[in-house]
Amino acid sequence: MDKYNNFFGDFGGRYVPEVLRAPLIELENAYKDAVEDPDFLAELAEFQHTFIGRPTPLLHAVNASTELGGADIYIKLEGLANTGAHKINNAAGQALLAKRMGKKRIIAETGAGQHGVATASACAKLGLECVIYMGTEDIRRQRPNVYWMELFGAEVRGVESGSRTLKDAVNEAFRDWTASYRDTHYLLGSALGPSPFPDMVREFQSVIGNEVSEQFAASEAEQIDAMVACVGGGSNAIGFFSPYIEAGAPRLIGVEAGGRGEGRGNNAVRMDDTGRPGIVQGYKSCFLLDEDGQVLPTHSISAGLDYPGIGPQLAELGRSGRLEFQSATDDEALEALKFFARTEGIIFAMESAHAGAAAIGLAKELGKGRNIVVNMSGRGDKDIFISAAALDGANWKDFLQEEAGRIR
Amino acid sequence: MMKDTAEKMKLVTHFIAGYPSLEASFDTAKGLIDGGAYALEMQMPFSDPSADGPVIESACRKALEAGFRVGEGFKLIERIKAYADVPLYVMSYSALVFNMVVQGFADRALAAGAAGLIIPDLTPGTDEGLYEAGRRAGIDVVPVVVPGVSDERLSEIMAEKPDWVYLALRSGITGSYTELDAENLGFLDRLKKYDAKIMAGFGICTPEQIETLKPHCDAAIAGSFIVNRLSEASTEKGGSGIMHAAKDAVEYLLGE
Repeated sequence: MDKYNNFFGDFGGRYVPEVLRAPLIELENAYKDAVEDPDFLAELAEFQHTFIGRPTPLLHAVNASTELGGADIYIKLEGLANTGAHKINNAAGQALLAKRMGKKRIIAETGAGQHGVATASACAKLGLECVIYMGTEDIRRQRPNVYWMELFGAEVRGVESGSRTLKDAVNEAFRDWTASYRDTHYLLGSALGPSPFPDMVREFQSVIGNEVSEQFAASEAEQIDAMVACVGGGSNAIGFFSPYIEAGAPRLIGVEAGGRGEGRGNNAVRMDDTGRPGIVQGYKSCFLLDEDGQVLPTHSISAGLDYPGIGPQLAELGRSGRLEFQSATDDEALEALKFFARTEGIIFAMESAHAGAAAIGLAKELGKGRNIVVNMSGRGDKDIFISAAALDGANWKDFLQEEAGRIR
Repeated sequence: MMKDTAEKMKLVTHFIAGYPSLEASFDTAKGLIDGGAYALEMQMPFSDPSADGPVIESACRKALEAGFRVGEGFKLIERIKAYADVPLYVMSYSALVFNMVVQGFADRALAAGAAGLIIPDLTPGTDEGLYEAGRRAGIDVVPVVVPGVSDERLSEIMAEKPDWVYLALRSGITGSYTELDAENLGFLDRLKKYDAKIMAGFGICTPEQIETLKPHCDAAIAGSFIVNRLSEASTEKGGSGIMHAAKDAVEYLLGE
């Protein structure tokens, strides 16, 4: 696959006001230059090894597979990356690139807060000023991450516009960038937005899939039959799938947020017949839109999947049939969280638990002798306020009240 | 009473369809026209207006929360054109244009009586056929440029042969005050070598700024300033105050 495509079929492109045209061309050129430069790649590899903790393990989930009685499940533990999710792969790559470009300040959006934490961490390490935009609804849902970002020295700016979630944080970051691009890099966290972001984010996340290839080859298992990843914007999925996209196999399965079930505003499922082609936030892809083209509200228990658009390359792969899409509901994600915690001693992030839920179904469907790799894109520590409230509400409430009383 | 506008700077006044209500936005348009506006720039509210600042973003959200539909926006243009024959430019984002198919949007806007389209995130070269659709329909597509655009890029934009070009006087979003300095005024003078007429805006909120702009361009644009005046009026005086607030805002900017 080319490192720079701009368009993926009809999707992708760069639909931005004139003011952002030059900064995006500058970024495109810097990116193309860096990913061919052995010095940059060596610097990135060193950072991945010493700071992020790569390679992350590929776990053979023997207990889970045995209990399900079907295919063997392998879990790529991206949650063990420093800061707790795959987001750091991209944050590190872009922060190093920004530094190479001579930018002094980094801005970023965040939904669940994982991209914000990763960006703030990379900026602390690399000595860059950092401002994170986060919807106030997401701040409410993911408060612990706000503390970590601030501890890393970042300024977290609450976004009150629109639905006060991820898409509004993206809008706000673009607003900042239109006035600040001379000394500021916009470190976009997902494989979407105007080009070159979808290509660049995929390349920085492709380390996930490349490691899976090597690790699986070194295992006793024969071949991967299916790969499963959750899809919000889709950065973990596109990086995880990346080395396999151009081959006909294995099956690649993206899992969207089924939320509370069907119906407008209840989920964030774009890749069934509810999503439509549109141009939003600088790129053409599949979006949840009303009859006029206005962006519709979404819902998911996981802030990271609660977004009305999808990365353009994933949308095109869905259209062409290379990528299959499924969805998992809030409840199914919670069940998967419990299942893998009990059987394997690992805590999926609520986002990644959607992929876990699909893998559970798929293991039974494929049966023995087949192999599934699921990407645990993040670990679930950050979700404790959501998962504890959902799974053990009364005790959790008592604990919080006691704890609140203890703070002076 | 007819105003003597011969020596005045032409003022393009921005307002938002459906804000604070559909009827009130019609009153707003009437007030702007009565105040002496040369032309109207009508924004079709979009849910994610990422080039706009907080004043316009919030007003668009309120219009959508009140149930604004794009079809009503086009009907509003028809009513305004029946009230007075002033040029009306439709401003919106690519999402709404692409949704109607670009040619469909251009045709509908022309049929309603619009003089032109201002779609900041569809620029020459990545315009989804907007400029061609505009030529086919016979409606002007107004490119938005910013100071600092290279000569090479400027030639590409001007090769579309627009009647008007919109200069955003600084980078950034709409709303905050713009200092008029050697850079943006100098850029305006660079634009003069092209045939297109120039309207300039972003952060225009005083008659002094308009006076300063006068030798450098053909029209000034005022947006957030007027929206602010309207939001004050709609909370203070109720619906009937809107038309007067719009009229007063234009008269203030024109130095009357």
